[in-house]
Amino acid sequence: MAKSSSREASAQKKKKKNKSAPDVVAMKVKAPKDNPFETIWSRRKFDILGKKRKGEERRIGLARSRAIEKARACLLFSYSFSGKSSVFVDKRIGEQDEELDEFGKAVLRSQRERQKSLLKSKYNLSDGEEEEDFEGLDIQGRDDFEDEMLPDDDDAAEAGDTENNSSVAHLNNNVRIPGEGEENKHKSKKEVMDEIILKSKFFKAQKAKDKEENELLLEDLDKNFTSLVQSEALLSLTDPSKIKSLKALVNKSITNESSNKDSLSGTQRIDNSAQEKPDAYDKLVKAMALEMRARPSDRTKTPEEIAQEERERLERLEEERQKRMTGAEDSSDEDDENSEKSSKDRSKFLSGDDLGDSFSVGEETMTKKGWVDEILEREGGEGSASEDGEASDDSESSEDAGEGSDEDLDEHEKDQSLKDWEQSDDDNIDPNLEEEGEEDSGADEEEQKDAEGHDRIKDERELNDETDFGVKRYSAKSEIPYIIEAPKTFEELCSLLDNCSNSDVIMVINRIRASNAIKLAAENRKKMQVFYGILLQYFAVMANKKPLDFELLNLMVKPLIEMSMEIPYFAAICARQRIERTRMQFVQSIKNPESSGWPSSKVLFLLQLWSMIFPCSDFRHPVMTPAILLMCEYLMRCPILSGRDVAIGSFLCSMLLSIFKQSQKFCPEAIIFLRTLLTAATESKSVSHEDSQFYHHVELKALRPLLRIQETVDEICPLNFFKIIDMPDDSSFFSSDNFRASVLVAVIETLQGYIKVYKGLSSFPEIFLPFLTSLHEIVEQKNIPNALRDKIKDAAELIKLKVDEHHTSRQPLRMRKQKPVPIKLLNPKFEEDFVKGRDYDPDKERAEMRKLKKLLKREAKGAVRELRKDNSFLFDVKEKEKALIEQEKAEKYGKARAFLQEQEHAFKSGQLGKGRKRRR
Amino acid sequence: MTRPFGVKGRKRKKAEKYDPEDEDEETQPTESEANRDMVEDSHEEEKPAEDAQGAAAVEELEGIPIAPSERNSDKSKIIFVLERASLEVAKVGKNYQLLNSDDHFNFLRKNNKNPADYRPDIVHQALLMILDSPLNKAGRVQAVYVRTEKGVLFEVKPHVRIPRTFKRFSGIMLQLLQKLSITAAGKREKLLRVIKNPVTQHLPVGSRKIGFSYSSQKLVDMNDHVASIPSDTDLVFVVGAMAHGKVETDYTDEFLAISGYPLSAAYCLTRITGALEQKWKIL
Repeated sequence: MAKSSSREASAQKKKKKNKSAPDVVAMKVKAPKDNPFETIWSRRKFDILGKKRKGEERRIGLARSRAIEKARACLLFSYSFSGKSSVFVDKRIGEQDEELDEFGKAVLRSQRERQKSLLKSKYNLSDGEEEEDFEGLDIQGRDDFEDEMLPDDDDAAEAGDTENNSSVAHLNNNVRIPGEGEENKHKSKKEVMDEIILKSKFFKAQKAKDKEENELLLEDLDKNFTSLVQSEALLSLTDPSKIKSLKALVNKSITNESSNKDSLSGTQRIDNSAQEKPDAYDKLVKAMALEMRARPSDRTKTPEEIAQEERERLERLEEERQKRMTGAEDSSDEDDENSEKSSKDRSKFLSGDDLGDSFSVGEETMTKKGWVDEILEREGGEGSASEDGEASDDSESSEDAGEGSDEDLDEHEKDQSLKDWEQSDDDNIDPNLEEEGEEDSGADEEEQKDAEGHDRIKDERELNDETDFGVKRYSAKSEIPYIIEAPKTFEELCSLLDNCSNSDVIMVINRIRASNAIKLAAENRKKMQVFYGILLQYFAVMANKKPLDFELLNLMVKPLIEMSMEIPYFAAICARQRIERTRMQFVQSIKNPESSGWPSSKVLFLLQLWSMIFPCSDFRHPVMTPAILLMCEYLMRCPILSGRDVAIGSFLCSMLLSIFKQSQKFCPEAIIFLRTLLTAATESKSVSHEDSQFYHHVELKALRPLLRIQETVDEICPLNFFKIIDMPDDSSFFSSDNFRASVLVAVIETLQGYIKVYKGLSSFPEIFLPFLTSLHEIVEQKNIPNALRDKIKDAAELIKLKVDEHHTSRQPLRMRKQKPVPIKLLNPKFEEDFVKGRDYDPDKERAEMRKLKKLLKREAKGAVRELRKDNSFLFDVKEKEKALIEQEKAEKYGKARAFLQEQEHAFKSGQLGKGRKRRR
Repeated sequence: MTRPFGVKGRKRKKAEKYDPEDEDEETQPTESEANRDMVEDSHEEEKPAEDAQGAAAVEELEGIPIAPSERNSDKSKIIFVLERASLEVAKVGKNYQLLNSDDHFNFLRKNNKNPADYRPDIVHQALLMILDSPLNKAGRVQAVYVRTEKGVLFEVKPHVRIPRTFKRFSGIMLQLLQKLSITAAGKREKLLRVIKNPVTQHLPVGSRKIGFSYSSQKLVDMNDHVASIPSDTDLVFVVGAMAHGKVETDYTDEFLAISGYPLSAAYCLTRITGALEQKWKIL
């Protein structure tokens, strides 16, 4: 096919030839056989950057013509013999070798003939020269079948020899190559490579040989050396310290023969070791041995140990004090300083527990100690008066508590409440704690009994007490003892604390706590519980004292908080008891309309204390929840009759605000109370409809314009709540406009606080919108001072802003709110590092199977392709043959036809006879 | 052998590589659509939910796959075409990688290419913007077509979750360009598929094809422009995903500029989707 196409191409060329002259020249220059398709290079399908261009240089046309060539060589060849039953094999000598020309073939043949004749006369003797000659010539020309004729033994041996020789010679030749290489001018590549390989082999052998020799030499030297070392001569010459290493070196070789020398060297070795210089490593080791070891630091002390230390320190101080008291006059300033220092230390320790409150009592008191003594002594003189006051207070408080009256009921209730308490907390308290709690409750009961008991007996005892403790007290007053047993009763505490300055009271309390720390001993827990109860009572008593000692109360808060953290369970019980009692009182007092139900300062202080001790933000808390409820009840149920009530109520409101600030619970009572106060400040008495609805909840609120400011107020001063509490109900101050203005300021500020706390509630507008009208009314009054007016305006604006915000964020009610459903997304599956052609099937067997199948398919395809190619080639050939036959036939037919025509022509023209004759 | 050389030689043209199997698929949806309409008519009262309809269709006409994109067949469709995306695979070292300007700076320089032109991250961002848009979540995007600088065209189904990290994105693109299709995990559905050029044969008939170019003289507010288009025409947006240059296509009806500033492809797409969402009140 290729030929035909080339023929066609040449035919085209011929046509072109006629057209133009220059082309003709060009065509002639070109080789006539050149197939133009062979010059076409395959193109790349896709240009991929960085891909090696391996397939690029393939020429499909060329490959095709080559394939045809190949097919012609083998396929056509076998095809041509396919119809034959026998084959003519040409076994003439040299006929297969295409390189040989006719002459060469002839030479070969003649040679072989001669050889044959020689072999035939095997047993004939002949000249050796001839044979040798022949052998040298023959090697190449020998034919295959001739090899089968085995040569003689001698010959074989000879041949082997010669071969060996020749190879050696060859090798040698190659070693001294270059001159000769140039001589036989042309060398094939293979030969060159062989040469190179041989050369390298030769050099390698040379090297190995050299090495061997070297080793031999070295061995010799070693032998010599060992013998030298062992000889006495060297020993005497060399440094004895180096002998050892030498020995070690030689040791291997002389293990067996050195026995006699050991005795000699043994003595030396000791000396050597002493004389040997220590190297760097040895030095380092020694230095490390001498180095100081790291010591473990003091471990952190446990709380028990700290408590123990504190106790010990106080004991030591107490001893010293006792000594000084008994007459050792040499108590110098140094001691004091020491004690001061230690006290500072202690205060530091305490600061670890500090709540961050501004109770920095300890340091001040301690540093002032010098004067405190004096003051104490001075106070001692006035002691009797204050004691009286106290006593009266006590009696008052006992009356207030009303414990004397309904003892039984109280006790009964207490039990109940305790049970409740335990039940309610069973769930969340550990078993340990529970046990403790039970103990505690026992202790508590005892304590309560004690407290009640002492209340009852107090009056009787009072006189005795004074006389009994009097002496002690006066002696003790000179200096506070360092170790104080926890007081068991309220009297004991009172006697301890009487006539002490505020700072001393705190100091006493702290010392009691330190010397009876719970961590010191198990029984201390009980002691401390008793002490806590007493201290709480003391706090309550102090809070009810008429000239209020606010500083002392403030100072007492810190130890109280700390103690209630130590005994939380007991503290909670105490608080609950007190709250219940207060509630009872409140219920009692609200029954008779004359007395105002508003809480006393004691209750207020206690409530404030508890709100500081216990967490306010709990959803439900055994103490705080009842406390909050109590406060709310006060706000709801107590009638507002006087300015004092207003003040207390607003104080309660602000207290509630501080409680609710964190938890953001809604407290409707406080809000309503504030609103009531604001309406009390307006002039209009008319109650609108919605207002009436809201007053419906507020019972017993006699609304007078208590807070209405009649005249202009020049300045607003902040209220002092403690003063107000102390004032009687009908004090003229409450009706003054100054008071009103300042109460209004307080109310507005509290309101603002509530607004801020409740701004997140969704019902904010409903809660705070009613305020807006009353606030506007108040603003319009003419007597309002400017500062107050600004504040009110601010509050009103704040409310408005928040309400607007809420209104805008509100959305209309919808039937059913449905989120639009997004279309379902699908994750694509892909490999992290994809390589084309790799099977990412997790099932290995399947992947393998697929791979094999692919291979099979490819192979099958290849085979089919091959077969198709062959077939088409054969078809081509057959076609050609057919065409040839056809042509022949046609020719024959033509000839016959021509002959017949001629005959007919002759016949018709009457020349038949002649013609026939002539032909014959 | 039987063919003459000349015939063979002419046929060796640069053949296009694409994923062949779309022929049968293209006829199928219309068929099923028709069937679906019938089914919907008959079941309209009893089965308001679309899923139920789908189930009914499955029951009655088995063997017809439910294409998720047919839910809103009454509404107009949105098609995005990202032109001139620079997604090119090259053999870097031993293995094939998607070329980007960061990792293959030296490689590109060695091959006399401008590293600034190799920015597959643009395509990534653009695809994320389209597929993350509420417009797509609402099922209004019919398809996204991406045509690379080399002329490879592939289709991205709107419900693909394109990898959010660039590394994984280049992994998926690499696989797509070599394997010609990416299936869904756990399903046989093809999510990404290399298809036959030109892109016009995949676009709906009678659709409005809008190209975007900063160089265009027609500067419009996208919201107004979208509002002016009748809501039943299908829209094809052609956006360039290349770093430099402009889109030159012959099939676009108009070229718009939607900002006085040159915009990134991703931002341009957000403008488009945003305008459409506003028009159709997709929140």
